[in-house]
Amino acid sequence: MALNYKSSFLMIIALNLIMIVMYFFFSRLNPDITIFGIDASYFEFCIIGLCLQMVVGTSLGTVCANIFNEISAGTWSSILPFFNFLEYSIGTTLAGAFISSFSIFIALGFTYLIAGFFFVITFQEIMLIFFLFILILISHMAISMLFAAFTIYYQKNSSLVSTLYHLTKTFTGIVFPVSLLSGFPLVLSKSLPLTYGLSTLQSILFSSSVDFRGYLFNCLILVSLSIIIGLIAWFLFSYSLKNAKKHGKCDWY
Amino acid sequence: MTFYKIYDEITKRFSVIDRTPSFFQGLKAIFIRNFKIIWQYKFSTVLNFVNTLIVSSLFYYIALLIPDMQIEQDLYIVDSVSFIFAGFVLVNIATKILNKSLNSISSEMKQGTFETLSTLPFGLRKYFISEVAFEMIYGFITSIIFFIPIFLIFPIFRNVSISSASFFSLLLVLLSICLFFFSLSLLAANFTILIKRGKEISLVILSILHLLSGSMFPLSVFPGWLKIIAYFSPFTLGVQAFRLCLFGNGILTDSIVWSAVLFLILSSIVIIVAFLFTYKRIYKRIRETGSIHEY
Repeated sequence: MALNYKSSFLMIIALNLIMIVMYFFFSRLNPDITIFGIDASYFEFCIIGLCLQMVVGTSLGTVCANIFNEISAGTWSSILPFFNFLEYSIGTTLAGAFISSFSIFIALGFTYLIAGFFFVITFQEIMLIFFLFILILISHMAISMLFAAFTIYYQKNSSLVSTLYHLTKTFTGIVFPVSLLSGFPLVLSKSLPLTYGLSTLQSILFSSSVDFRGYLFNCLILVSLSIIIGLIAWFLFSYSLKNAKKHGKCDWY
Repeated sequence: MTFYKIYDEITKRFSVIDRTPSFFQGLKAIFIRNFKIIWQYKFSTVLNFVNTLIVSSLFYYIALLIPDMQIEQDLYIVDSVSFIFAGFVLVNIATKILNKSLNSISSEMKQGTFETLSTLPFGLRKYFISEVAFEMIYGFITSIIFFIPIFLIFPIFRNVSISSASFFSLLLVLLSICLFFFSLSLLAANFTILIKRGKEISLVILSILHLLSGSMFPLSVFPGWLKIIAYFSPFTLGVQAFRLCLFGNGILTDSIVWSAVLFLILSSIVIIVAFLFTYKRIYKRIRETGSIHEY
């Protein structure tokens, strides 16, 4: 009788679709975003961010959540002798992102059904989007690795992941343009990787002209953030693991 | 003291241990236990406030996108920020009650302590009631505490003037909503022990109620058929009545307000009866199938 993980996954897809329906009805209030220089209707604008958010959420939480599960299930101490942090992070993130990316296709199909809305994109744009998608995944995987280091050190699930998820959802231009922000919220927005990824994606999909310099600049920021955060995560992970081994905390939780 | 007397004394002491605690003793114990747990996770409470602040920012910026920043519903016109925030406050309280109740039960299952709880003389049903009661009171109080600084940070409800009659009607609507989510959490907890996945169940229930309530937009944007479905949800009426009391000086004699209160209370009673009715069957089933330890 218990629901299996497949039904749980279907429930998550249903949740995502309900969220899209909610913004579909909100778009009926005619929010005008062309004044922010975005040549699209509100629903066209936010569907991109909402779809991307489904995968970003997964890559943000996967590594950290999986390590916490290993700790609480008691398997952490047994996988440690063969543990490769990078391999584990890439594997869990790719698996999570692959499964959650189905949500994107389902969401886009659903959007076509309820709003009759679809994208026409060229092969070149598909390649650009794919490349961007990988960069966004890597940058969020690096953040998840950073939080995983805290999880190993404190043997607790890091609530910071949920805070960062809320920050990403709010300040990266998913449901409203970033140009609406000023002061500290704008600084916050500029420090989040998804802001650069999403602005490039929106530019590829909505702008009639191709701005390769702009794309390259945003991609470089994503790469730099991934490297910096990844290195800090690696350092903190090594320290946390050493600390856990030294104090015999590998079987605690 | 003879051997038999000592034996009798020992037997008596062991029988005292077997005594079933009263409901209020158990309730008190669960409240103390939960406060101790919350105290251990102080940082999480701070982060919860930060999360509420961030989500408030999201709704604030979304509200700025609405043309003329004004929304009309039930013969009152109000600024879009206040309108959306009123809905958000209720959704936040509802989320805290339902989500935390089911998360707490799922967490007991995951950690393996649920099996022990179900064998205690206090009983699983009383445990559910006490746990959900705690989450309701704690969720309500933390929401109020969290929203006070948020109301000071964002320009919300600044031009709202409310009469004392409307204020008391608003409180009554709020309490009815809390009662409704208390009963809903009990029923959902019941099904969580059968089908597991409490977190997902709570999220699906909440998102459907959130969508139908029109917390982000007036109900006029719904097509006719969806509007009819929406009014089957007691939460939709609750949100509508709450806004009417807050912005349109609605009082208990207004049909929207009294019908919302009545519908919420009646639904709560029906749900509590359903909880009591299904509890024995579900408990019997998990004992028969031996699935109580699964998560």
